[in-house]
Order: sequence, then C-alpha cells, then structure tokens
Amino acid sequence: MAATAPAVDVTGAAPVTPRRRRPPFGAYGLLVPAAVVIGVALGYPLVRQFVISFQEYGLRQQFGQPAEWVGLANYTDLLTDPYVWTVIGRSILFCLLNAAVTMVVGVALAVLMSRVGKVARTTLQVSLLLAWGTPVLASMTVWQWLFDTQYGVINWVLSEVLGIDSMAGHSWIIEPLSFYFVATVIVVWMSVPFVVFSVYAGLLQVPEETMEAAQLDGASGWQRFWGITIPMMRPVLSIVMLLQVIWDLKVFTQIYVLQRAGAPTRDTNLLGTLIYSYAGEFSKAGALATIMLVITLALTGFYIRQMLKEDEL
Amino acid sequence: MKMLRFAAVGVAAALTLTACSSGDDPSSDPSEAGTPEPATIKLWLNGTDTGDALREYLVTTFEAENPGSKLVIEEQDWSGLVPRLQTALASEDQTPDVVEIGNTQSATFTYAGAFSDISDLYEEVGGAKLLQGFVDAGIADGKNYALPYYSGARAVFYNKDMFAAAGVEVPTTIAEFGEAAKKLQSDSVSGFWFPGQDWYNGATWLYTAGGDFAVQEGDEWKGALSEPKSIEGLEQVADLFANATNAPADSDSNEPWVPFNAGQAAMFSAPTWARWSIDLPQCNKGVDPDDTSDEAKALRGEQQACNEEHTGVFAMPGNAAGDYATAFAGGSNIAVAAKSKNQDLAKSLVRIIYSPEFQQMLGENGLIPGNTEYASSMGDDVYAQAAISAALNAKLTPAAEKWADVEGDRILEDFFQQIATGADVAEAAAAADQLLADTLN
Amino acid sequence: MSALATPPAPAPHGVPEVASAPARPARRRASAESGRTASPLARRLLGLVAVLVALAWVFPIYWMINSAFLPLNKLQAPDPTFLPFGGTLSNFRGVVQDPTFWAAMRVSLAVVVIVLLAALMFAFLAALAVSRFRFRGRKSFILTILVVQMIPAEGLFISQYQMLDGWDLVNKVSGLALVYTAAILPFTIWMLRGFVAGVPIELEEAAMVDGLSRVGAFFRITFPLLAPGLVASGVYGFLQAWNEYTLALVVMTDPAQRTLPLWLQGLVEANRATDWGVVMAGASVIAIPVIVFFLFVQGKMTSGLVAGAVKG
Repeated sequence: MAATAPAVDVTGAAPVTPRRRRPPFGAYGLLVPAAVVIGVALGYPLVRQFVISFQEYGLRQQFGQPAEWVGLANYTDLLTDPYVWTVIGRSILFCLLNAAVTMVVGVALAVLMSRVGKVARTTLQVSLLLAWGTPVLASMTVWQWLFDTQYGVINWVLSEVLGIDSMAGHSWIIEPLSFYFVATVIVVWMSVPFVVFSVYAGLLQVPEETMEAAQLDGASGWQRFWGITIPMMRPVLSIVMLLQVIWDLKVFTQIYVLQRAGAPTRDTNLLGTLIYSYAGEFSKAGALATIMLVITLALTGFYIRQMLKEDEL
Repeated sequence: MKMLRFAAVGVAAALTLTACSSGDDPSSDPSEAGTPEPATIKLWLNGTDTGDALREYLVTTFEAENPGSKLVIEEQDWSGLVPRLQTALASEDQTPDVVEIGNTQSATFTYAGAFSDISDLYEEVGGAKLLQGFVDAGIADGKNYALPYYSGARAVFYNKDMFAAAGVEVPTTIAEFGEAAKKLQSDSVSGFWFPGQDWYNGATWLYTAGGDFAVQEGDEWKGALSEPKSIEGLEQVADLFANATNAPADSDSNEPWVPFNAGQAAMFSAPTWARWSIDLPQCNKGVDPDDTSDEAKALRGEQQACNEEHTGVFAMPGNAAGDYATAFAGGSNIAVAAKSKNQDLAKSLVRIIYSPEFQQMLGENGLIPGNTEYASSMGDDVYAQAAISAALNAKLTPAAEKWADVEGDRILEDFFQQIATGADVAEAAAAADQLLADTLN
Repeated sequence: MSALATPPAPAPHGVPEVASAPARPARRRASAESGRTASPLARRLLGLVAVLVALAWVFPIYWMINSAFLPLNKLQAPDPTFLPFGGTLSNFRGVVQDPTFWAAMRVSLAVVVIVLLAALMFAFLAALAVSRFRFRGRKSFILTILVVQMIPAEGLFISQYQMLDGWDLVNKVSGLALVYTAAILPFTIWMLRGFVAGVPIELEEAAMVDGLSRVGAFFRITFPLLAPGLVASGVYGFLQAWNEYTLALVVMTDPAQRTLPLWLQGLVEANRATDWGVVMAGASVIAIPVIVFFLFVQGKMTSGLVAGAVKG
C-alpha cells in the first residue's frame, strides 16, 4: 500500500493504478467521523459485551455488585450444553435453507422482471417495495393472523374453499417442522425484495452485445444464463448471498413473534431467540454472541477470503 | 372498550368527591417524616389499569402533602417493562422513584438490589392485611422491598342459555366444574375455553390439588410438578384439555371472549373486566361505535344489560362445596427504586397509595386493592363478589430470584401445551421439573 | 447493498464516454425489454406470472389495510371478510385524532432525519477514503465493518444505555439518533463504497483542468453521480430507523418521547390486545410515510443499484 507519492497524474488515464496516491492522513481524516460514531456507539458496547462474557455479570452486577472474572466459564457452560448445540445446528440449517430459497426466488423474480413488459414489471416492483417497506411489527401481526389456527385465512381457504376438512383448526406452528416452514415463508417474503432489486440491477448491466453474440453462436437461453449471466453477476450474487447468510443466522423478530403466537418455545428456538432469552444473564448472552460471530465467520470465511484475494474488498 | 371508558367517567365523578374530602385528613401530615427537600419525583405505572382519575388523585394529593414537590406519572407498557427496568433503575439520573412491577417479576428485581428496603412502612400501610403472596414476592433476606399494589380479579363467565339447555347447574366444587364442562362439550362448543398455553388458568387445578410449580429446599429450588399432589391436579388439567375444550393447543389466555361471543364456548375464565368485551349476537344492536348521541348511549346500555343477563359469573369453586379454588393471581407490586435520590418523597407517595381513600378507589375501579381490608370497596354485584372470593384465595408463582427467567424461557407455556397435545403427564412433568431446577438455581 | 463488490473502476479514457455512464442503465433496460425472449405469447404469459406473483406478495399488506376497515366482530369471525365493503373509517379516525400519534410521528421523523443525514454524510466520507485512497489499515477497516454486522445486537442495549446515560442523552432524540447512526453506518459504508468507486476520478480531474476548484469539481461532477447511491443507502437507513423497537424501548422511556413503533405497541396494550382493527389502522398509517418515501425514490433507487452494483 504505497501511499506516499504526493503526485497525481492529472493528464488522464491511469488504468492500472486507479487509486490516487495521497498523503494518508487525508484518508484518515475522512474516516474520522464514521470511525468515531461506530467506535463509540457500537464498538464500545461490542467490546464491553465481549469483556463481560468472561465475567459473571447479571442483574445483580447491573445494580452495583462487583463483577467477578470467571474466565471461560460462560463459554464452557454454553458449549457443554447439548441443547445449545441443537440450537446451533438448527440455526445453521435454517440459515442456509432460507438464504438458498431467498436467493433462488430472488434471482428467478429478477430474471422474470427483466423479461416482462413495463406494466407487469412495475406491478411486481411496487408490490415487492410494499412488502419491504411495511413496518415489521405490522406485517408480522398480519402473518400471524393469516396462519391463525381458528380464524386464519389460510386454514379457511384450505378447508372451506378447497374442501380439505382436516385443515379446519389446523395448527401451523405447534410442530417444529411446520413452524420452520411458516417462518421460512415469512423470512423469504421479507428478504426477497432486497435480492430482487440488487440482482435485477445487475442483470441490466450484462451487455446485450455479448448475449447476442452468444445467441448467434447457437447457445440456448439456458446456456446463456449459466454461461454468461451468472458468471458476470458473480460479484453481486456473492455479496447478496453473504448478507443473506449473515442476516438469516441472526434472525430474531420473525421467530420471536411466531413463538409468542403459541409455538412450543424450546423446540423452536434459534440462536437469535436463545440469546434474547438470556435476558438477565448478560455475560451468557455476550458469550453466545461471540460464539455466533465465530459461526458466521466459519460459514462465510471462504467467501470473504475469496473476495480479499480478488481485491473486491 | 368504549364501555370501559364510560364506566371510568362514572368512577371519576365519584372519585372527585373522595379526593375533595380527603384534604383535611390528619393522618397524612408530611411533617412526621421530616419535611424533605422539594423535588420532582417520577412514578412508573404500567398499562391502563390505573385510570386517569386515580392518577390525578395521586398527583393532587402528593403535591398537596409535599408543598413545592411535583409528581410525574409515566405510563409504561407491560410488554417492554423488564428491559426498561433493567436499564433505567440502574441509572441515578433516569430512575423512576417509585415503580409498579408485575408480581412475577418482583422477586427478580428484589434480589438484584434494585429496590430500597421499605420494611419500616410495612406495618403502617397494612401489615398482615396486605395480600400475603404479593408481600412474599417482594421479600429478600427478611426485608420488604416491594409491597402489593393491586391484584387482578378473575372469574368464570358462563353462557346461561347453554347451561339451561344442557341442564347444568353452577358447579359448587372443582370436580363438579369438570363434570359440567364435559357435559357442555360438543364438537362445535367448548365446555370450557382452555387454550393449550394457558398456564394462568392451568395453575388453578395445580394449586387447588395442593401442588406447586417449584419449592425451595435450603438454598436450592426444585421443580415440584412431579409431586403426587401436583400430578393429581395436572391429570385434571389433561382431562379438561382432552374432553372439555376445543380450544387450540397453540393459543394462550388472550381474548377468550371471542369464542364465547361466537357461541363456541360455554365457559371461560378471565379478569372480571372481560365483562365489557362480551358481545353476544342476540344482544348486538349494531350501534356505530362513533355514535355519541343519547340514543346510541341508551342502546349501548341495553346491549350491555342484555349481555349480562345472558351471561353468568362465578368464582372457581374449590375441593369442597363452599370453598374457593386456589388460583394464580395476576397483579402488581409497588417499590421504591434504590437509586432514587428522593427516598423520603418516594415513601410519602407510597403512603398515599396505601391511604384508605386510594385503596378504595382501586377497588371501585374493579381492582383488588393491595390492602384486603378495603376489598369490599369493589362493590357487591356478582362480578365483585366472584372477584373478591377468588382473590382472597389466590396464590402467586414461587418467589424465586430467577422466576423471571422461567417466564422468559416460556417453560410453563411449553409444559401445558405438551399436556394439551396429549403428552404423558408424568413424563412431561419430570422434564419440566428438570428445566425449572436448571433455570431457578 | 450489492455495491460492496465494486473494485476500483478501470478508468475510461476521455470525458465524453464517461459522462454518458449514468444513462447506461436506461439504455440497457430498454434493450432488455425489447429482446431476449422470443414470442409475444411467451412474454405475455411471463407477464401474467409476474402479476400473479405480485398479487401473492402484496396480499399480507392488503390484508393489513383491509383489517383496518373492519369492525371487531368481522375481524374475528369464522368466515373471513375479503373486501372492506361497509367498512368503518372509525379506526383510522381514532388514529389520526390521537395527539400521541402525532407526537410519536414528530419524534420518529426527527430521529430519521438526523440518522439519514449523519449516516449518509459520514458513510460517504468513509467510502471516499476506502475507495479513493490506499492506506495502511484500509483492509482492516473494511473487514471490521463487515464483521461488526455479524455480531447479534440483542445484548448491546445495556452498554448503549449506560453510555447515553453518562452523556445525559437518554430520552433525547439525539441520543437515539446516535445509536441508530452507529448501527446503520457499517452497512451504509459498504454500500456507498461501491458507488464512489463507480465514479471515475478522471471526471473530476478533467473538470479541474477546465478551471473548477477541487471542491467545486467534486460538487458539480462527482456528487450528482452519487445521488442514486445515496438514495439507495438512505432507503435502508430510513427503514431501520423507522421500524426499530428494542433500543427505542429502553432509550425513550418518557411517553412524550415515544417513537412510532413504541406508540403502536402502546396502542396494542391500551386496547388490552382486543381491538385489532385500531392497531392495524395504526400500522397502516405508520407504513404510509415509508411507502411514500419508497415510491418517491423508487426510480432513482433502481438506477442507483445499477450504477453501484456491478464491477465497472
């Protein structure tokens, strides 16, 4: 990172070394406001969360009792509890499944969007925007109603309209698998708009000429999609995928609301809700947060290394 | 809800009179505690149970008794209370001086050291006449840190027409209750509306059979659901789930009047204010809720009278005729924040809360006052009678430091749901006991 | 969003070609519309599929608005009511006439405006630094803001509260805005990085050759090209700050300082969780500013994503 040369090549093109070489303090100066805000209002609490994960810190300590150092006790407590491992396993599966479904549906809708007329496209865009922009508090209440056992529209349609009598009064959330199905529907519904808009934007950038040339060479639509479109959009796809994995592993609100709607809590906990349930045991919550960070890094490390290598970061 | 507000206006009018007459009450002389420095103190009340008239009374009386000082009441939501208390009570600048806290949350904060020792007030504000279970939830190391504010009164509501049609009488023992519920049960009507996660109501059978959720042995807490008495009560619960209700297993105690109004339940158990939510189809006059004309008010009055005519109410009976069941009591405690800089003023407010006038106002508002001496202020209609009978026999969840974690983990919701879905009672109880012990110790 | 991937843009030669860059997406879109799929019939079928998907996607939102028009006894009836005919406006009237709603609206708007301005400005400067300069610690900084997003924030409120309390910022719009800004900054920097890198430095330099000052060149040439990126990041920030509940809950304990999500929760409790029509009306009204903001910037956001999303 040679950042010493003060000279700027004003005459024009510098295709190989695109970044300007400037005294570094200029760059640092630009970083200061963001770094200060992040460092103070996010960094400090994060560091503190990390520190208390090595202490015994609960409600008593919050009200003034001294916090004792306990070393790795919080970590060993968590990691020797088979239930925590069950939840970790569930969360990873849920996260990967949801990220995958979200990506597939999102990419499919983005492709669809690029191939339909203006009216259809705008309709789709607006409806996705509405789904994305409505406060989670409200949309979760509605989803809860739709799947409600007694008065839910979904049961009503299945039993009264389609004549499946066994679906009257069917509980969607009492069985863990069925619960995760409902949760997946909701999580995917909420996450797809972000993927669609990003991928659609990416699709627009695939040069028409390349596609036409490939078509002339006899490549089928399917071949063109896999051979040209997907490779060209790899950066977009991998970034969106990375964010989906990060977000889906942390998923909290949707699970929490569905649990409160009447699901068996212990059988449906994911990492996000498990952390939340350690409401008064701040040190344990902190330790679990660190464990989650490690899991996320393990899941995404490959991607990140790849990006670093290709200088995309 | 409209009806509630109308009722509140009536109460408000009655209260204004009481408030005026209490001005010259000699017992509330502030000088007895030495005159504290004037300051503004903050009281946190939760939800809307403490109505506007009661709040106004507190403010007026407090400011009259503590010249120069001010009382600010901030309404908090029950659902977000715990995180707020965890943070605000630990801050000297932000802490409310006096807080209302849910009775099952009380022990946790008491043990954590969040509250001031107010043992010196105990005798003065009612002593042994205070709701005992609530007092216990505020004791740590033999000292009082939180005292009972009010208890929510519960009662069983029943559809009189359905009782008549099925030839069922109002039960006089808890066993008869079960029989009646089963008799009323059909494919379309639940004998008793008993959703699977409703541990509030489930506790009635557990407690009445002599069981408990957890008991303390020395320094250790132990789950008590597998004790023989508990199992006996839980078997009755399982029987009701299987044979006396169509309520979904994935539902909780919210809104039991909805199936009742729809003719899908013959009985439900709820706080007595549920009377305002009863809306039987045969009584509905179709009044626009926005219509405030006299005519609409009259129609609404008729509607309410009709609803109450077709709906009966009784306190859950106990093991023998004439006894009442031991039910779980919802409600809240009052405590002074340890970090409050205005301890004397805060205590002065606590005294006002326990003044006969205010206790009676609580009763007139349909709440069971913390000092049972004033329970009769709830009136003598059937609702009040049922509520008082139920409340005097009520019992709380175990006063364990970590009880809040049990609620946070929703162990009891899960446990009752397992029974509702047909799990073996003994096995489920053993597993839940293990979880309770792990959580409480 | 996907902007994060953008590497330093290979500098195009000559201003004219580059100046046409923002127009590219539109051109591409036009061509995307025209070609690629063969028969008009297939296109129409696909269009039908798109509309059906759109209807399915929007159904929960429709249901929210529908419920807001229904009286309680219709809301919880064995047979659902699909159309709010004969519905009541009283739920909406109740919300609009509620002074606490407007108070919460003011607080929420104030928070969102501060958060958006601060986050976009700070993120923009940081993005400028990491995409225009190479300096020691650059990669570490970028990695840090990625990793920070991986840590669950559910347990942070205790420390954040103590910090705000120490500075007397509890129950203040500025305090809440500070923690929100910090929460969305990492994502926003990631996103803007791509957009900044997407604007070739030579454009600015050429303008300077033409006699503009550095600052002038920046504001006349670079800044307008970044507008879509700023808008796209702004949408994300708006949504986060508008909908956040947990932190607002502990920071804003004074009822006069409630944000809209707190107000909505209060509405649920004030109705003892029974009058859902009112709650849905409240939720619908809360969603309106978000949706208006969304539709207002929709066009720009799409091209914003285009401009930043793809390696140059």
